[in-house]
Order: sequence, then C-alpha cells, then structure tokens
Amino acid sequence: MSSSSPSPSAARPTRDEIAARIGAIVGRDRIRPPRGPEAAAAIAIAEPAADGEVAEIVRACEADRIETAPIGAARTMSQIRRAPVALGISLARMARIVAYEPADMTLAVQAGASVGEVNRATDSARQHLPVDPRNPDATTIGSLIAASHSGPLRLSEGTARDLLIGIRYVGREGRIVKGGGRVVKNVAGYDLMKVMGGSFGTLGIIVEATFKVRPIPEHRAAAFAGFGGAGDAFDAARRLNDALPLSYLEVLSPAAAHMCGCDAAFVVVAGFSGSRGEVDDQWNSIRHLAPAARLLEASEADALYARIRDLDFSTAPIAALVAMPPAELAAALMESGAEFAAHAGCGVAKVFLAGAHDETRVAQAISRWRRRARAARGNLRIIRRDPSMRAWLDIFDTPDDGALRLMKRLKAAFDPAGIFNPGCFVGGI
Amino acid sequence: MHDVNPPLPDASFDRSLARELEAIVGPDGIVSRPSELRVYECDGWTIEKNAPDLLVMPRTTEQVSAVLKALWHRGVAFVPRGAGTGLSGGALPVNAPVMICTSRMNRIVAIDLPNRRVEVESGVVNLHVTNAVKNDRFFYAPDPSSQQACTIGGNIAENSGGPHTLKYGVTTNHVLGLTLVLPDGEVVELGGPAEERCGYDLVGAVVGAEGTAGIVTRAILRIVREPEDHRTMLAVFADVEAATRAVSSIIASGIVPGAIEMMDQLIIRAVEEAFHVGLPGDAGAVLIIELDGLSAGLDEYVSRVIAIARDAGASEVRIARNETERAGLWKARKRAFGAVGRLAPNYATQDGVVPRTRLPDILRAITEVSRRHGLAIGNVFHAGDGNIHPIVLYDERDPRQVRAAVEAGREILAACVEMGGSLTGEHGIGVEKQAEMPLLFSPEDLIAMTELRHVFDPMERSNPNKVIPRPGSCVEVAAPRRQVPV
Repeated sequence: MSSSSPSPSAARPTRDEIAARIGAIVGRDRIRPPRGPEAAAAIAIAEPAADGEVAEIVRACEADRIETAPIGAARTMSQIRRAPVALGISLARMARIVAYEPADMTLAVQAGASVGEVNRATDSARQHLPVDPRNPDATTIGSLIAASHSGPLRLSEGTARDLLIGIRYVGREGRIVKGGGRVVKNVAGYDLMKVMGGSFGTLGIIVEATFKVRPIPEHRAAAFAGFGGAGDAFDAARRLNDALPLSYLEVLSPAAAHMCGCDAAFVVVAGFSGSRGEVDDQWNSIRHLAPAARLLEASEADALYARIRDLDFSTAPIAALVAMPPAELAAALMESGAEFAAHAGCGVAKVFLAGAHDETRVAQAISRWRRRARAARGNLRIIRRDPSMRAWLDIFDTPDDGALRLMKRLKAAFDPAGIFNPGCFVGGI
Repeated sequence: MHDVNPPLPDASFDRSLARELEAIVGPDGIVSRPSELRVYECDGWTIEKNAPDLLVMPRTTEQVSAVLKALWHRGVAFVPRGAGTGLSGGALPVNAPVMICTSRMNRIVAIDLPNRRVEVESGVVNLHVTNAVKNDRFFYAPDPSSQQACTIGGNIAENSGGPHTLKYGVTTNHVLGLTLVLPDGEVVELGGPAEERCGYDLVGAVVGAEGTAGIVTRAILRIVREPEDHRTMLAVFADVEAATRAVSSIIASGIVPGAIEMMDQLIIRAVEEAFHVGLPGDAGAVLIIELDGLSAGLDEYVSRVIAIARDAGASEVRIARNETERAGLWKARKRAFGAVGRLAPNYATQDGVVPRTRLPDILRAITEVSRRHGLAIGNVFHAGDGNIHPIVLYDERDPRQVRAAVEAGREILAACVEMGGSLTGEHGIGVEKQAEMPLLFSPEDLIAMTELRHVFDPMERSNPNKVIPRPGSCVEVAAPRRQVPV
C-alpha cells in the first residue's frame, strides 16, 4: 500500500488543537470529528450556522495557517485530497431556502442544502432545478457548483454553470463577496459565478447561490434500445440526437448497462418530454429512426433514468469523466477499452474499469484515456480512484502553460494565504 | 515575462509609436489623422465622446500580440473595439490613447457541424455566424438587435443577449473556447471545444469582462439546432399593465417561449410610421411572442397562449401566417431603436433588469420619471426575462434636456435595483453605469472583481477606467456633439 503524501504545510495541527482554536470562535459544540468518508477529507469538521461564522473561521485559519476546505457529503473532497485538510467546513446548518419566487422562476438557497431538497421545495409549483448529479439528496448546492457535478439532463438544460445567476462566498480575509444577483439576465460586474464554479473549494467557501429554475415537463418518456455492438448503439444515438430535441441521451457499455439492470450488451436510452402531443410525436419519430427501441412511459422511464443518473462507481478501481467534442466521443470510447456511461449528445462520458485490476493496468488505462481525450481537444478528470492510488494518480489534467499561469495568479489573488483546499487542484494549485 | 516597472508614457511617443505599429500592421492598418479618428470617438453611448490618438487594425493574433507588446513596453493603454455598437461606452477611450479595432479579423475559421461548433475570429459579425450554418438548420443563438453589425468579440466583451436568449441563453452559454492576447502580448488559449474545462473557468471570467482582460482574437462557439417549427404572434393590449400580466401568466403556465418582446404606445407609433408593418397605432402595448419547438406541440401551445393573452385583456392576437409576416414583426422589433430617431433629435437607450413580476411596477416608475423630467420615454424590451430598455428622448442642443436624460436614466436604474433587479441585462457597465455599481455591489464585491481583473491585466492597460468605479476619478460627462445611429 502506498501511503498518503504529506501536505506541503509544515506542522499539522491535531484535532484537539483545531477544536480549541476554532471552537473558541464558533463554540466547541460546532466542532466534531469527521464521519465516514469525511475522514479522508479533513481532520476536524466545523459546522458554522451563518455567513459571519464562516468568515470568522476563515480569518482564524488564515491567521494560524490552518488548511481548510468545504465539505458537503465529502464524496468529492475525500477523492481529490491526497491528505486530509486540517479543518473541513460543513454547511449542514446552512441549508435554508432563502427565497423562492415561482412567478420569477428564481430560487436562492444556502449552499448546505441538497439538490434534492431544492427540488422538493419547487415541486408544488411544477418547477425544478434541472441539474441531476448522482444522488441529488447527497449532493449539496455548494458541491454541485464547486465540483461541477452534472448528469444526463445536461443535454437539454445545460449544467449548473448555465443556471447559476448569483453567488455568495467567503473569501480571503473572511470577506463575504457576492456576484450576480437574483434576476435571470444580468451582466453587471465580473462573473464571479464562473470563477467559483468548478473551483473545487480552492478560492473560498460558497455560502449561497441563486439559480434560474425551469418548468417540469408535463409528460416524460424514454426510448430504450439494446445493441450487440457499440458502433450500432452510437449510430442510433446520433440519428436520434440529430432529429429530436431530446431531454437526455445515454449510451451504456455492457457493465454500465448491467449496473442499471438492463440485459443488453450496449444500451441507448433517449429521454424525451413535453405535451402529450409532443411526446407521441417524438416516439413516432424514434420508432422509425431506431426500430429496435422500446417505449418506457412515466414511472418506468423515471426509474431507469434515476438508475443511470445514480450509477455508483465506488466498487470500480478507477472511474473518470472525459469530455471532448461530441462527435469524437463514440470512436474515443470504442478505442479506449473502457466501460462507460456516455452523455452522448454532449461529448461527456463517465468511463471506468469493472472488476479487479492491478495498479499497472489502471495506470496504463488512465494514461491511454488521457492521451485520447487530449488528442480530441478534450480533457479527463478522475472521479473515483482506489485509496491505494492516491499517491501517484493525479485527479486533474494539467492545463496549457499560459492558462495555468493565469490560474496560479487567480489562486494567489483570491487565496494569498494558501489555506483553501491547497495542493490538489490543477497544476498543484 | 512581465515587465514589473514599465517605463512611463513618453510625451513624444505618438509618432515613433505610430511608426512602430505601422511596421506591424502595415500602412492600411493604421489611422492617425484626427479627422478620420473622429469616427471612433464613441460607440452607441453617444453622451460621452473622446477620439483615440491612434487606431490600429490588426489582421492576425500575431499582429495583436506584437502591437500589445509594443504598447506594454511603452506603458501605453489601449481600448478594444469591435463594430462600436455597444451602448454603455465600452469602446470609449478613457485614458487609453490607442484603439485596437478587430474588424479586419473577420474570418470564420472552421465550421464543424457534426460537433456543432464554429470557430471564428473575433471581428466576425454576429449574424454572419448564423448565415454560415443556417442552410444546415443551425443557428448561433445570441441575437442582439445590432446583430447585422456587431461583432462576436464585442458580444464576448459585453456578454450580449437578444430576444431569443430567454430560451437559449446569452453569449456566455455559447462560448466554449477563446484565444486571448494578454495586455503584455502573451497569447493564451482558454477552454476548448469540449463542454468540460480543465482548471478554472477562465473563459467564463473573460466573457462579460468588457474588454478589460486583453484582446480576444478567436472564439469557439456552440451552434444550436434550429427548432423544427415556430409560431410568431402579435398580441394587442390597451395598456402595458395588461401586457405584463400576460407575460407573467404565460411563463407561470410552464411554457418557455423562444421570445416575448414588448413595445409600448410610443414605440408602436414610431415603428408603424417608419416601417408600416401593420401595428395597431391606437394600442397601448403589444407583445411579440414566438413559440418554437416540435410542430406537433405548437398549435396546442399557441391556443394556450392566446387564451392567456385574452384573459389578461388582449383585444386581438394575430399569428404570422408566413415567413414574410414573421420577418415583418421581427423587423419592427429589431429596428425599433432606429424608428425612434424620428421622434426626437436624440435618444439614450437604457438597460435595466427587474424580476419579471415587478415589470408593472418598474413601468409605472418609468412613467413617473418621464413626467418629472418632462422627457418622453418609450419602452421596447425583453419582457420574458424582465430586461427593460427605456428609450429616453431628448434634444442635445438643450443642456437642460441632456442633464435630465442622464438623470432620468440613473433614476430608472436605481428603481430597478430597489426592486431586486440589476443595472444592466445585456449592455454592460462601461462608463455609463460605473457610478451606479455601488448600488448593487459592496466594496468587498468590487475588490474581488478588481482582483479578478488584475489576474489578466495587473497594470490596467486594457480598457482602463471601465466597469469598476474609481473613487476620485469620476468620468466627466462631455458636452455632446452629435448623435450616432444605433
């Protein structure tokens, strides 16, 4: 077993020291030991209850050089950290829906709330936040934004990046900073939503977000088709995507199909929605474009969709998110030898190895996938690595030199003390 | 490498600098005669004017890089310009002697239909992107009213919108990759044709930065499949209140139209006199509503929208029967600003946002501002997303009216912010709204934004004195000289 590499900071405080220092600010009862996967992310967990408390914690961390990181369900942070930070900041007590205006179709929410909670709050107005990360109930809004989670619906609704219209975060010196606002169209000031999106906790602690929400379609259905080969599956997917405004379009390899309870080698699932007339019309088109397809209506379609959305790679030795121009994806996946669940219209796929693999094979597979993604002007990010691979397997690709220099300047400007989730983002940021 | 202490500008820089830049871009790429530079003294924000000392028109990324290096070493600031159709003074030189115009970088570099991407140079005109792909049933979604003239580079600077962004999103939702020349001349590639990024979203930071991050020379754009079919309607109302009620009800019903645009009585009359498209001259307000999507669903949605509009008080709802009628309606909408030119010697177009449900309140507030200042104000705007465009009519020969026009604009913006809205939905802050930024943002917010800007432009050489207000260096409101058509 390889061990975790040491953090760059010199003396690592003990849990008791952190609890004493931070507990003096927010109260000892707000500091607790990590639970379950949090242990790989942080030595101690603080649970502040207000923006001001987060700000005080950040100031204390800067003063004492205590490394900190936001922790939602700790799924991402426990993966990307090589060694735990001293202090995880959980917003479990900051999970309130701040404002929901169904007629304006906007919703402001504290970052500790889950995507599932948001969608239960908007359901009665027949609206939703159309982002679908794996296990929406276990994905906090902070994590949705900071770790760029997305799911099948990105084909029709985009990602959190497209829906986020306002943000508040606690940055350097405990400054509470906001960008954007609460209106659906707004170009006042620099776009701090984009800067914080996908920043993996390295620039500050997101405490509140405002989103556009969308109407829930009246009817939902899905077409399901099994294929003997990947080529036929991707051909069918392309025909459907060219012809119809699908809600989602997933292509599953045999292992992924099996995990979703489907008994076919390669599977295409195309979601479509709208009024009764629109759904019927789309099904008619699909039947002609993919004669093998079977119609799944309402709950049956929803159940399969949820299984694909929630695909769990925790037993796989390795899983990664690859992205490239959409038309390149089929060939790249077929060459890769990997199992996959592909958002086919988007050029984005989760690739993984099924079953036991030794480190050498994992290393070879990842470097092959990385090269292939790069050759297609795309990129790759590890979403699951076995703990034994932490020491040698990088989560992120390395950006081009020029872009990386700007990113390092951004990090230095927003986090001069270097306390926000240091050392595990691109280029060692 | 960055020159940490670049030399201060030399008073005699102009002639030797002009020679140096001419060697880079060629004699036809330089304008230095004051009479010719007058053309570039302002953009669509015509209340302030200031011509550059030198205009440079590079043709390639390499030339832009060489030009910026030359300026960097002399400590000279520059202002980027596309077509000059911006409405907030983003292309107004303020302590920036050199203007860099991207209009000669106008090649569509690659059209990649299977991947739904188009790569363009930044001087390409917005509409030319759609024209290049429309035979294959694709379009480029952001469609500002100036789309026949404005450039992709300008759209990127301002994060431009347009009527169809209600459904399809604004510029930032459609730009995936950029080639950016930093103020010191370094060329960086940001993002790429994939939907996911590697590292921070620097593309998202540059889009909407109003030209303060350097010069964008290329962009990878996403194009969108044309909807199978569309229906364009004109709904006629006795007043704007009834029309805004209809807007809220349509949205609340779960229908997402391609666009919902409103024109009030003053605009309707101006447009009708100018273009004779058959708008009812006695209407208090009209809505142009476009539904798009699958043919199969459209007629049902049309019936629902008609019912909602009638419930809200529409006296008439017409459906465009063919492409000519549809084009007529959109021509009326997109040329409304031009038509207004007949009503008064000058006009200033404002751009504010309120939550959709506050549209009746902001329109009442605008009526009150109009009455108080004795200036006519017309309204033509993107009702679906609460993005208002009051057009303040004035006569620049009367200094009182000029002051009143500026004041009226400020009061309207303050009312927008008061109602939970924003200072600008799509035109940008530029110089026009710098003074209002503190209404929306705290000092901490503005510091963070400045720090972000400095990541790209630590010396503030690219479009200085824009966006962020600078205490103690208030921009003078110059005496206006003439009106430039928008």
